[in-house]
Amino acid sequence: MTSLIRVEPRGHAGSWVRFGVPALALLFALALGGGILAIAGNNPFEAYRTMFDASLNGWSAMSRTLALATPLILTGLAAAVAFQMRVYNIGGEGQLYLGAIAASWVGLYLPETTPMVLMLGAMLIAGALAGAFWALLAAIPKAYFNADEIITTLMLNFVALSLMNYLIFGSQSFWRDPRRPVPGGKRLPENAILPSLSGRLHFGIIIAVVAAVVLWWILRRTSWGFQIRTIGDSPRAASYAGMSVKLKTLGVLAVSGALAAIAGVSEVSGVSKGLEPRAIATEIGFTGIIIAVVARSNPLGVVPVAVFLAAIATAGSRLQSIGIAVEVVFLLQGLIFLTVTAGEFFVSNRVRFERTAEAEQPGDSSPTTELPAGAT
Amino acid sequence: MNDSLLVLSIASAVVASTPILFAALGEIIANRSGVMNLGVEGMMLVGAVVGFWAGNETGSLTLALLAGGFGGAGLALIHALLAVTLRVDQTVSGLSLVIVGGGFSSFIGTSGEPSLLSAPNAVDVVPFFPEALRDLPAVGPILFGHDVVVYLGVVAVIAATWILNRTPSGLSLRAVGEDPAAADAAGIPVVRMRYLATAIGGIGAGIGGAYLTIAIVGTWQNGLTAGIGWIAVALVILAGWRPWLALIGALAFGGLNGLGFTLQLAQVDVPSDFLKMMPFIAAYLVVIAVSGNPARARRLAAPAALAQPYAREAR
Amino acid sequence: MTTEPIHLEVRSITKSFYGVAAIDSVDFDLRGGEIHGLLGENGAGKSTLCSVLSGLYRPDSGSVSIDGHELQFRSPQDAASAGIGMVYQHFRLVDSFTVAQNIVLGLRKGQRPKSIRQVETMVSDLADEYGLHVDPTAPIWQLSVGEQQRVEILKQLFRGAKILILDEPTAVLAPQETDRLFEAVETMVAKEHAVVLVSHKMAETMANTDRITVLQRGRNAGSVRTGDTGPADVARMMFGDAKAAERTTIAGPDEVGDPVLTLSNVSVLADKGMTAVDDVSLTVRRGEVVGIAGVAGNGQRELQEAIAGLRPTTSGTIDINGTDCTSTGPKGTMRAGLAYVPEDRLGVGLAPGLPLEHNIALKNHDRAPHSRKGILSTSSIEETTNRLVEDFDVRGNRKGMRVSLMSGGNLQKAILARELTEAHDVLLAAAPTRGLDMAAAAAVRTHIINERADDRGVLVFSEDLDEVIHMSDVVLVMFKGRIVGRFVRDEIDVDRIGLLMTGSQDEEAPADASEASIVLADRVDNERPAAETPPSTIAGAAS
Repeated sequence: MTSLIRVEPRGHAGSWVRFGVPALALLFALALGGGILAIAGNNPFEAYRTMFDASLNGWSAMSRTLALATPLILTGLAAAVAFQMRVYNIGGEGQLYLGAIAASWVGLYLPETTPMVLMLGAMLIAGALAGAFWALLAAIPKAYFNADEIITTLMLNFVALSLMNYLIFGSQSFWRDPRRPVPGGKRLPENAILPSLSGRLHFGIIIAVVAAVVLWWILRRTSWGFQIRTIGDSPRAASYAGMSVKLKTLGVLAVSGALAAIAGVSEVSGVSKGLEPRAIATEIGFTGIIIAVVARSNPLGVVPVAVFLAAIATAGSRLQSIGIAVEVVFLLQGLIFLTVTAGEFFVSNRVRFERTAEAEQPGDSSPTTELPAGAT
Repeated sequence: MNDSLLVLSIASAVVASTPILFAALGEIIANRSGVMNLGVEGMMLVGAVVGFWAGNETGSLTLALLAGGFGGAGLALIHALLAVTLRVDQTVSGLSLVIVGGGFSSFIGTSGEPSLLSAPNAVDVVPFFPEALRDLPAVGPILFGHDVVVYLGVVAVIAATWILNRTPSGLSLRAVGEDPAAADAAGIPVVRMRYLATAIGGIGAGIGGAYLTIAIVGTWQNGLTAGIGWIAVALVILAGWRPWLALIGALAFGGLNGLGFTLQLAQVDVPSDFLKMMPFIAAYLVVIAVSGNPARARRLAAPAALAQPYAREAR
Repeated sequence: MTTEPIHLEVRSITKSFYGVAAIDSVDFDLRGGEIHGLLGENGAGKSTLCSVLSGLYRPDSGSVSIDGHELQFRSPQDAASAGIGMVYQHFRLVDSFTVAQNIVLGLRKGQRPKSIRQVETMVSDLADEYGLHVDPTAPIWQLSVGEQQRVEILKQLFRGAKILILDEPTAVLAPQETDRLFEAVETMVAKEHAVVLVSHKMAETMANTDRITVLQRGRNAGSVRTGDTGPADVARMMFGDAKAAERTTIAGPDEVGDPVLTLSNVSVLADKGMTAVDDVSLTVRRGEVVGIAGVAGNGQRELQEAIAGLRPTTSGTIDINGTDCTSTGPKGTMRAGLAYVPEDRLGVGLAPGLPLEHNIALKNHDRAPHSRKGILSTSSIEETTNRLVEDFDVRGNRKGMRVSLMSGGNLQKAILARELTEAHDVLLAAAPTRGLDMAAAAAVRTHIINERADDRGVLVFSEDLDEVIHMSDVVLVMFKGRIVGRFVRDEIDVDRIGLLMTGSQDEEAPADASEASIVLADRVDNERPAAETPPSTIAGAAS
C-alpha cells in the first residue's frame, strides 16, 4: 500500500461527485486521446472539432449519431437490467445475433403481403423470444446449479457467432441469397423494414427510447422491479423476505436477452435489411455492457451514454478527410470506458493525502464481520 | 509420407496452437493470482501490432516477441491499475481492454506512412532443429519441423507448472488467488503479486499475438486475432487452470481449422463453423458440469478469489 | 536465550476513526509468562487495541515498546518480527493448502526451511512441544475449527512469536477443544511466552488468566490481578456500575395460551452437510417468551433458518399457529404468522445498499396498500416508513441514504418496526441485542417483551445468558444441535445452565436420553400445569 494516501469509503456521494467525477474522467480521456493524436502528428483540436461537427452539430449529423446509438441503447439496457440484479449478462452479443437470425427468418418467411405492423411485430416478438431463449441457456444453469453466468453467457456469444456465420458463409441456408456472388443474406421485403425517420435514422430509435423509459418504470415502480433491486443488493435478504431468487434470475436474464435481441432485430430490419454477419457483428453487445456500467445501470442513463459513444463512432469516417485513421474512434471509446469506470472508484471512495498510511475502518462496526455462525 | 495430409495438418495444428498456448498460460498465471482478465483478445492485438512493427524495424524474431510481450504487458498493467488498485469490476475492465486493444492496434496499424497494413514480413522464421531430424518420417515435421517459439511454449508450460506447484513464489501466488486476506496476513504483498501476475498474463498474450502475425499470418491486418484471445479464455476454464492441460487443449483447438479441411477432403461434411464452436461449447458445458457437483468443483474449479477485488479493510 | 521474560508496554494509545476515538489514551502492560485477559463489551475497543498491537492500524498517538525499546509498526510483518503474533477469530488460512503450506506461506528466504518435508517435521515437533496436535499434511478444509485454530497458533509460534494475542479464541470451540486450548496456552506461558486472551466472557477470563485489563468505551477501566478480585468487581469495571451485573427477570403473566409454534423432532443439516440440529422439539405458546441459551455454533442459526423456512429440514415437523410450515419456505412461514428478526442484520434482515423505505416495505411491498396489481405505491411506502420511524424511534436516516450507514441500534429498531407492525402471532428473534449499546438494547428488549403482553409467543435466541434469563419464561439450553435442558422461570439455575451450555453435563446421560427426558418432562408438567406435552426436548438434562 502506498503511504501518504488514505482511502475511505464515501458514505453518501453528493450529486456533484456522482456527475462531476465521470465528467472529469471524460475530459481526462479526451486529453489522453488528444495526446496520442498529437504524438501521431495530428492536431487534436482540429480532430475534436471535426468530430463534433460530424456527429452532433446539426440535425443530419445528429440523425447519423442516433442511428448508431439505437442498438447501443438496447444492448446497454440489456446489460443494465441484469446488473440491477447483479447478474452479468455478457452475452448481449450472441443474443443480438439470435434476434437478428430469428427476425430475418420471420421477415423472409411471412408473405410479402403481410401488413407492415404485423410483420414488424412478428419480427420483434420472434427476435425477442430467440434472444430470451439464448439467455436462458445461461440462466437455467445459473438458477439451478449456480453456474457462473459470466462465463456461460460469454461462451454462448461465440457459438451464436459461428451459427450466424454458418447460415451465410458456410451453407446455402434459407437466409442466404444464392444470386449474390459474395455470400450475403437475402434482402428483406419492404414491409419488413423499419420505417426511416430521416436518412439512416429509423424507427428503431423510438423503440429503444421507449424501452428505456418502460424499463426504468418497471424497475422503479413495480413489485417485480422492487424484487430485482432487492436481490441485486442482497440475495440473502431477498430470500429472507420470501422472494424467489431462482425465478427472478430466469426472468431478468430472459428480459435482458430479449432486449439485446431487439437490438439485433433493429439492425437487420433498419440497417442491413437482411442477415449480414459482417454488418451485425461489431461488438455492439460488449459495448452495451460498458455503457450500462458507465450509466450505473440506470436505464435512463443508458440513453445519453449510448448517444455520446455513438457520436464518437459516427465521427470516424469524417476524420479520414483530415488524414486521421478511422480507428482512432475505437481507441477513444476504449479510453473513455477505462477512465470513467476507473472514476467510479473515486465516486464510492474518498481519497485523501495525509500522513497516516493505511486504509482503515473500525473493526467492530458491522455485525456482518462477527463470528461465523455455523462454523462447525 | 511427410507430405501426407494427416502429417501436415498435425504439424500445422502444432504451430497454430502456439499463440493460443502463450495467451492461455499468461491468463492462467493471472487467474491464479485472482485477477480475471477478459481482455486477452485486446492484449494479443496490441502485442501483434507492436511485435510486427518491431519485427519490421529490426528483422529480429526475438526483439519482435519481446516488443509484443511489452505491448501486452502495458495493456495488462492498465487492467491491473483498474481491477486491483481501483477495484473496478474485472469483467468490465477486461471488456474495456478488448475495445481499447482493438482500437489502439488498428490505429497504430493504419497510421503512419506507409502503414503497417502494406508492410511485408521482415522477420525470417526458421526451423529450430537440423534438417536430418526434420526429414524423419512423420515425427520429423510434427515434432522437429518448427521454429524455436513452438518449443519455448512447451518450456513455458513446464516452467509454469513448476513455479506454481513447487516454488515458494508459486505458493504465494496461489495463496493470493485463493484467499487474499490470508495471504496478506501471512505477509505476502497481495497488490504487488497481482500486478506482477497480470503483467505476466499480458506478456503471454502479447507474445502470442506477435507470433501470430509474424510466424503464422505474415502480415498485419486489423483485428487479425479473430477470436483467438477468446479461445484462450475458454481454454483456461477447460484446462481447470492447469498449464499442462492448457497445452493439450491448445493443440486440440489449434487443429480445429485444419481438421475441417481434412474432414472435407475425407468426404466427411462437418461445417468448419461448427468446429469453431467447439471450444466455447466445451467451456460452457464444463462450467455447468463443475457447478452441479461440489466434489468435481474442488478439483477443477477456479481459484476461490478469482475476480474478487481485495481491500484490506473489507474483512 | 532470553534471560528476562519479554515485556510489552503500551502507553496512552489513541486511535480514531472518522473523528471518533475507538480507543482513547489506553495503557496496557504485558509480561512473558503470564496470561493476560483483555475484557470488555462489544465495541469497548478490544479489537482496535489488538489491531494496533498487531500492526494493522497505526495509532494516532501513544507508544508501544518491547523490553524498553519503542517500536513503530508499519505493517503486520513489523509486529511479527517484533515477536507479536495475532490469532484472529476468523482464521487467515488458505482452505485448499495443507497445514505445512499455510505455515510457511509468506516466509522470506532466510526464514523458510528448504523443503516442505522439513517443514512438516518441524511443525510436528512444534505441535508435540506445545500439545497442539494436527496433521501437517492435511488440507485445511478437512480440519475441524479447533484444529484450524491450532494451525493458526502453530503458524505464529513457527514464526517465533513471543507474544500471542488470541481474539475470542473460545467463541468457535467445543468445550473439550476449549480445554485443550487452555492446556496449550499454559504450556506456552510456562515457556515464557506472553498470551493475551481477548474476551467478553467473564467466567472464562476469571478462570484462565493471571491478570485482567478491562476496557470500557475505549478507555482503561482498570487492571487487576485475577487472584485478587472477584467477578462482581470485574463486571463493575466492564459495565460501569453494579446494576448491570445483577440478574433481573421481568415478571411474566400467569396465563399462557395455545401453542403458536411447535417443533416436533426437527433435524437440520449445516451448509457442509453435517447434522446441525438434531431431533429438536419445542413449543412456544401465546403470552410466553421461550429463550434458547447456548454458545454460538451449536445449531442455533440452522434452527432459526429452519423455523423461518429458509433451510430445509431433514426430518420432523414445524407448525406455526396451526399451519404446517415444514416445507412452505419463507413466504409460507410469514403467512402463517411468523415475524423473524434474524441474527445477521445487514446480511439477512436488511438489504444494506437500499434506502430505509425499501427495507421497511421489504416483506409487504407486493400487497395492498403498498402495491396493486404489481404496481408500487411509493406514497404508501413512504407514509408507512415515516410512521414507523416515529413509532420506533429510528434515527439517523436521510432520504435516499443506504441503510448500512445507520447505526446497529437503529437498524435493529427498523427491523423490529417492520416485523412487529405486520400481523403476526409469533416472534422469532435471534441475537436481538448483539453489538448494540445499552440504551438501544434496552429498547429492543422492551419491544420483545411487549409481544408477550399482546398475547403473542416469542422464541428468542441469544448467546448472552443474562439476557436470556432476563427475558424468558422458559429457558432451553442448546448444545451440539440438541436441546439439553429446560428451565421454567422460577427454577432457573444459572450454574446448571452454564454447565449444560458448555456440554459439561452431556456425558452423564448420553445413552438413555429419552428416558431422562420423560422424567424431567413429568416434573415440569407437575410444576407448571400450563405446559402440557412438552416434548422430548430435554434430553440429557436430568441427573
